[in-house]
Amino acid sequence: MADLKNKRIITAAVTGAWPKKENNPNVPMTPAEICEDIYDCWQAGAAIAHIHMRDDNGNGTMDHNKFRETVELLKKNHPDCDIIINMTTSGDIYATDETRVEHVKELKPEMASYDCGSMNWLNTALFINSPSFLEMCGKLFQETNTKPEIEAFDPGMIANAAYYVKKGILKAPLHFQFCMGCANGIPGSVKNLLFMKETADELFGKGNYTWSTFGVGHSAMEVMYAAIALGGNIRVGMEDNVMYKKGQLADSNRQFVERAKRIIEEYGCEVATPDEARQILGLK
Amino acid sequence: MTWGISFMYYHCPVCGMKFKYGLDLISEFGEEFGKCPKCHVDGVYEKDGARTLDDYDYTEVE
Repeated sequence: MADLKNKRIITAAVTGAWPKKENNPNVPMTPAEICEDIYDCWQAGAAIAHIHMRDDNGNGTMDHNKFRETVELLKKNHPDCDIIINMTTSGDIYATDETRVEHVKELKPEMASYDCGSMNWLNTALFINSPSFLEMCGKLFQETNTKPEIEAFDPGMIANAAYYVKKGILKAPLHFQFCMGCANGIPGSVKNLLFMKETADELFGKGNYTWSTFGVGHSAMEVMYAAIALGGNIRVGMEDNVMYKKGQLADSNRQFVERAKRIIEEYGCEVATPDEARQILGLK
Repeated sequence: MTWGISFMYYHCPVCGMKFKYGLDLISEFGEEFGKCPKCHVDGVYEKDGARTLDDYDYTEVE
């Protein structure tokens, strides 16, 4: 692992469940568009693609057929692409617990998201991750050899992950995604990112887990630079930010990955390949 | 699952200026959050939610 110490993983979150063409015409929506964006991001240096799906009206959906169509397209059109696929389990806040994991059962992805607590969503709805869902999800991921990406929107969700490790629902070492600056989550700042990391250090021990992070909106760059300085990995893409910078819509997801790669390399680190990321994350 | 930033939209009861604050800056602005950037009086709340294309006439306070 020593030679991997200097490697940083870039995750591309290319579409999410919410932004639409009216927010940025370059957001990929269909399986074909998402597939091409994943490939583009992989070529630019992303090791992981965190993917959501959209229905025919552009709304987030957990339709397992869309997930299958996307990964099949990727395999068929780009057999050279060895990117790690990380599938969301939270792509539609109105989906049932069962439909949220149908694609995991069927496709057995290398990674999938695990939102370790519930919260109000954009002050309009509930984003529910009930204890029974989290238990079912954790057990399923063990059966399918899927590495959970523990999405933590506040420090309480990190502590909740520790509870599920003690209970055997999650298996250490964990991989966290610290989600900074989302409405109703922890505000995005260097101070708060450090607090998230220190919380995880206390609960799991330094070096006993891996982590990645992103900031939405104003905190995007601050969080990215801090993550690299603190030894973390980074996530970029139009799921989290449709603006490349103030007043400028992003041209593509690739644009975000290219910037992340430049920053990592300027700092003196290297961008992890998918296989290196597999080693770092202990993927089977 | 994430989605950008949420905004709170206001107009100024004195000068009529339309403006918005990103909710992710609420801790940074503290008591200043929601005030008119010109007149420094409390704005009149109109709505909140994610960025939309038709909100460009609201000045973003940063």
